[in-house]
Amino acid sequence: MKKLLTGTLCALAACAMTTSVSAEDAGFTLKGPAKIAMLYISPRNDGGWTQAFDEARQRLEDDIDQKIQYVESVPETASAIKPTVERLIQRGSNIIIGTAFGYSDTFKELADKYPDVAFLNGSGTTNSDNLESFYGRTYESQYLCGMAAGAASPTGKLGFVAANPFGQVNWTVNAFAMGAQQINPDATVTVIYTGAWNDPVKERAAATALIDQGADVIGQHVDSPTPQIVAQERGVYGTGHHRDMSEFAPKATVCSSVWVWDRFLAPELKKIMAGGWQPAEHGALLSMEEGGTDVSCCGSDIISKEDEAKIMAARDELLKGDKLIYAGPISDRDGNIKAAKGESLSDGELWSMDWFVKGVVTQQ
Amino acid sequence: MSLIASWIGNIPDFAVPFALAALGLIIIERSGVLALGAEGLMLVGAMSGIGASLMTDGSTVAALIMAMIAAAVVSQLFALMVLIMRINQVIAGLALVFFCQGLTGLCGTLMNWTSRPVSGLSDLSLWPLSELPVLGKLFIQDPVVYLTPIIFLLVVLVLNRTVLGLRLRAVGENPQAADAAGIPVLAYRCAAIAAGSALIGLAGAYISVLSTKMWLADMVGGRGWIAVALVIFARWSPWKALAGAVLFGCIEALIPQMAASGIRLPQYFVFMTPYAVTLGVMIWVAVASRDNSSQPGALGEPFIREERR
Repeated sequence: MKKLLTGTLCALAACAMTTSVSAEDAGFTLKGPAKIAMLYISPRNDGGWTQAFDEARQRLEDDIDQKIQYVESVPETASAIKPTVERLIQRGSNIIIGTAFGYSDTFKELADKYPDVAFLNGSGTTNSDNLESFYGRTYESQYLCGMAAGAASPTGKLGFVAANPFGQVNWTVNAFAMGAQQINPDATVTVIYTGAWNDPVKERAAATALIDQGADVIGQHVDSPTPQIVAQERGVYGTGHHRDMSEFAPKATVCSSVWVWDRFLAPELKKIMAGGWQPAEHGALLSMEEGGTDVSCCGSDIISKEDEAKIMAARDELLKGDKLIYAGPISDRDGNIKAAKGESLSDGELWSMDWFVKGVVTQQ
Repeated sequence: MSLIASWIGNIPDFAVPFALAALGLIIIERSGVLALGAEGLMLVGAMSGIGASLMTDGSTVAALIMAMIAAAVVSQLFALMVLIMRINQVIAGLALVFFCQGLTGLCGTLMNWTSRPVSGLSDLSLWPLSELPVLGKLFIQDPVVYLTPIIFLLVVLVLNRTVLGLRLRAVGENPQAADAAGIPVLAYRCAAIAAGSALIGLAGAYISVLSTKMWLADMVGGRGWIAVALVIFARWSPWKALAGAVLFGCIEALIPQMAASGIRLPQYFVFMTPYAVTLGVMIWVAVASRDNSSQPGALGEPFIREERR
């Protein structure tokens, strides 16, 4: 109770502070008509992360009724980002959207140098008066994928191929396990970290090893569709990430966590165009309600109608913002309490998540 | 027990690309040309293999041959740079890698080949070996795995037992003497670059067409550099390079198997293992064999006829 009270007080104080700030500072307003440009980290048809942005771009063009320029394969080095962005600005772009963690520092520098240009950066970490980083709460969609995996698995022995062991990956692993345990309380998730986002050789070896050891649904948080393809070859199931991966493995993929950036970017761009835009101080960490992620689920008849209804009910709750995944009581696999009943994990605790819930098997 | 069986079964997936790429490099370097471009040529092989497979509706043999031809053709650019224009071979090799990374990324995107699965080759069981306990899975592999030791044997025979091989090695040891004996030095080096690059291209195509069964930009992921290190550690001997490739394959294949069976090790120690082993073996080799006699004498030196050395 005491904690709750302090939390409320803090929130109130924060509200008071933002109001006082906005009283002095009217926010960011464009100097002319909006012209939008995007920088992609990889080719537009990479089948995953960047393709999701490119699909969002096409929907955005219809929504805001203007063409959006894009530049493909801009690597995460200042010497490549700066000239690209500066040329776009010289040609009249005044809203620049990046798509990579590695753009963070250079975007901050550019945002300071060009205060009349609005910057947005997907999966970035830096923010300022005219720069806002954004990312999705992927644990919400991956929780639903976990439910689908739990429903599709006859044995409850699930596998998961993940990239690197840090917060934003660990939170999907835990959510996947918690989702699976909603359907099958005894479900376990064995995780293999490949140490790379895009290494199909390691991803194949990981998925093969998991299936060899008896896993019958393979979840993933890596960039390529390899785990899904292996699952299909071996006659088991899988859940995808980034985009609907049933495109690559129609027989295996039962659910995919997908990016729906346009649901966030369309209103955000309209805010920028309207003037007085206030970028979120610590960046926008988007829930499904705010439009970061969604799932594409249950097209096949592998998941029973009853389980599908459960998954869709949970999705509706998440879309309405009625459900918190990391709400207490929650404890790690060794029994340490991470959030007591009535509390929930803060964003800081989410980003630094280095523990796992019951039923998750990993390296140390 | 099932852990060991499936571990052994997965070793060739990792070992074959290292082995073929290292063998290709040995052919090139035995002719006296320092080749650092393996990473780039593997990418060319990987992409054109998938490309050919998608365009020909899944003829895998044609895809592998196309990959070898494509890598050999691109390598002629390197040959032009180092043989005719006599550009520093280290710089030309590095430039080749960056060029190939850009080229394959661009072509893969333009042709829309990214992440499109291909069928590959089905596994071949060598009965009765495939029925062996534990080792059985080693004999249920795609045909290229069985072909790899045969390719090694052929290359070793050609290098050590034929006039062609003798001349190739002479060109690499002492091009002036070889030239005086009437051997066309540049023609031999050019042919060695083409032949070696074809094998490196096959290594790349093995990764994309047979192992992962799809193309992704930069999917070789540094394996070409490991092949370069393998050649140095094997002192330009094909059999030692094969042993090194198998050792590396053993470690890489063991990592996911241990994780899948729930053996808990520190994660970052696991990530480090292959590289720590490479360092360890290199140090051991450096300490154990002090002679550099196995390194081709003219490695990295451009050949200029009648120039005094």
